[in-house]
Amino acid sequence: MELSNIEKLLEKYFEGETTISEEKELKVYFTRETVPSHLERYKDMFQYFSEESTITATKDLKLNTGRTRTYTWVGIAASVALIAGIFLTKTTPSEPIDTFEDPEIALQETKKILNLVSQYMNEGKQELVYLNKFENTKNKFIK
Amino acid sequence: MKERAFITLTNGFKDKLFRLAKRLLVSNEEAEDATQEVLLKLWRNKGKMAEYKNVEAFAMTMTKNYCFDKLKAKETANLKIVHSNYKDERPSLQRELEAKDSLDWVGRIMNDLPEQQRMIIQLRDIEQYDNAEIAKMLKINETAVRVALSRGRKKIREELIKKHNYGVV
Repeated sequence: MELSNIEKLLEKYFEGETTISEEKELKVYFTRETVPSHLERYKDMFQYFSEESTITATKDLKLNTGRTRTYTWVGIAASVALIAGIFLTKTTPSEPIDTFEDPEIALQETKKILNLVSQYMNEGKQELVYLNKFENTKNKFIK
Repeated sequence: MKERAFITLTNGFKDKLFRLAKRLLVSNEEAEDATQEVLLKLWRNKGKMAEYKNVEAFAMTMTKNYCFDKLKAKETANLKIVHSNYKDERPSLQRELEAKDSLDWVGRIMNDLPEQQRMIIQLRDIEQYDNAEIAKMLKINETAVRVALSRGRKKIREELIKKHNYGVV
């Protein structure tokens, strides 16, 4: 191709107005052995472009078809277990069971137990009398 | 769709995905990963494949989005450990050593371009898609493609002229 033509194409090329086929022409031209010295600098560029288009991916694609299926089953199993768990805990009764037939006896027993509790509490409280000693000693020194 | 049919279909453009990913992510390994990821995603959604008018263009868009996500994640991760004081003020020295030959140099110039221009030059000058296809892949209009293309090419020319005048390499 004529040199003037190439120069014109180059101008268009840098404006982004060349067509794909014109760009192919440029690529062919610049990958030749000899190019006029003032166009030498574009050689690298076009050579780079054509060289880059030959790079290939080396890793082979692996499609694990089984894997997604096992995961769905795990999901289903987990949700079933979760729902079962919720229902099982809900249905277990936790209401108090009557142990006495006669409410009168039940009242007596409860009173007995509460008395026992208060008795122990009072016993425990007696020990707290010693706390007053702290108070007294403190008052002695800090007025 | 059967596995073999899928592989034959994607083999037609797998390398293009890889090259686009490599252009954006630079690292070979990351580009391999990106390609795998995109193809696997495509495989998982193979049921919808018939809806896509152009699987290749769709896969290219997916690759672009995947790489952008990766880059964004990297950017935020890097922010935490950036120490601007420690930055080497002489990138040209490093470049001189790295750019062993002039073709590497072009690659280096290209990878310094903004992502958009880099991608468009990749798609146009290396993969030879036409502007309409590129516009669809990148979801921008054709004029924007042309403008970015022109800017990117001019930037490469500028850098090449600089290199020729000063003989940096």
